Amino acid sequence: MSRVAGGDRSALRQLYDSTSAKLFGVCLRILSDREESEDVLQEVYVTIWRRADRFDAARASVMTWASTIARNRSIDRLRSRGMMAYAEPIESHELPDGGVSAEALLVAAGEEGRLHKCLSELDDRTENVIRTAFFGGVTYETLAQRMDTPLGTVKSWIRRGLAKLKGCLEQ
Amino acid sequence: MSEGPELSEAEAVAAEHALGVLSPRESAEAELRMATDPAFAADVEAWRARLAPLTLAVAAVPAPAGVWPRIERALPANDNAEGGAQGVRFWRGTAVGSLGLLAASLVAVVMLANQPPRFVQAPAPIAGPLLNASLTTQDGAPVPLFVAAYDPTRKALIITSLVKAGADPGKVHELWVIPSDGKPRALGFVEPGKSKSIPMSRELADSMAEGSAIAVSVEPPGGSPNPNAPSGPITAVGKLAKI
Repeated sequence: MSRVAGGDRSALRQLYDSTSAKLFGVCLRILSDREESEDVLQEVYVTIWRRADRFDAARASVMTWASTIARNRSIDRLRSRGMMAYAEPIESHELPDGGVSAEALLVAAGEEGRLHKCLSELDDRTENVIRTAFFGGVTYETLAQRMDTPLGTVKSWIRRGLAKLKGCLEQ
Repeated sequence: MSEGPELSEAEAVAAEHALGVLSPRESAEAELRMATDPAFAADVEAWRARLAPLTLAVAAVPAPAGVWPRIERALPANDNAEGGAQGVRFWRGTAVGSLGLLAASLVAVVMLANQPPRFVQAPAPIAGPLLNASLTTQDGAPVPLFVAAYDPTRKALIITSLVKAGADPGKVHELWVIPSDGKPRALGFVEPGKSKSIPMSRELADSMAEGSAIAVSVEPPGGSPNPNAPSGPITAVGKLAKI
């Protein structure tokens, strides 16, 4: 990363080779559209190039940092589509997750494995709604509309879920 | 699993902000609070770090071959080496979202007022400083109806409507920019209560400067029939200024 920050294009290419499939997966997961995901992936690497000096290995892995950029950029794009993006019902939004759990099983330890273990200890509905919020870039209001549930109820599910998640992660 | 301890109200809001479920307005408030309340900012960053590994579990999909050449063409000169604020804004640095960027600009204003030294050292974006505008009614009411930020690096205008969602049914809010030549250019519509990032043509982007006016007019559906000027009343106006 320090070579990328120093303006070394071949270092960015190496980073691209080792991370682009994962980041493209994140973009596709959020956007469900190949063409838009390609556009966003391009933006993500240009952002990484510009912000490489902000990367701090003590705070997170390169992959976590880069994936966070991919998530944020994809959510921006999703929100810029406007209300159409929110028409999708919550259940179908969560269906293509088979790959997630399969891969999660492979991660026996580490931050990722712990987070998944703790999420899986939540009740299914709460886990589902937290994942949907995280990957869908959707507000409480939208979640409540999609689930046809009062906003206050959705809010209390998420707040209770997050509190449990924190408790589990700190064990 | 046993019942975890309840989160304090402040931490719950911090977690909600990190998860991304707050309304645009609440998110902007949270960003402002992060600037003035270090404990709250630390909570948000801790929650961002807690949730970030979720992205790692998504299945990898090889990117099409055409993407890398496009990236290479899009790379600006990289002058990061002089960056002085390494790590200071680590997680916020990843929040390049339209709202994140907008709110970060609001944050900067507050930071300047409260604790100038650290934030002032943040490296300026490559293509020039972010320009901001608060759009208020012309009678000079102190509360803005819209806030806008022009990001020269992305050549985009980020606009957030603070108008109540659902206001002005049957009308649209049309955004205009009036650069130094004085000719209004239509930039599209802003939905009440929403924020969006509007990419600008290179030509228009190059004409954006301190003092350029940003205005919103109330128009019939489809926008002003005259492409070169608003037809309806100007509801709010402001000028771009450096932070």
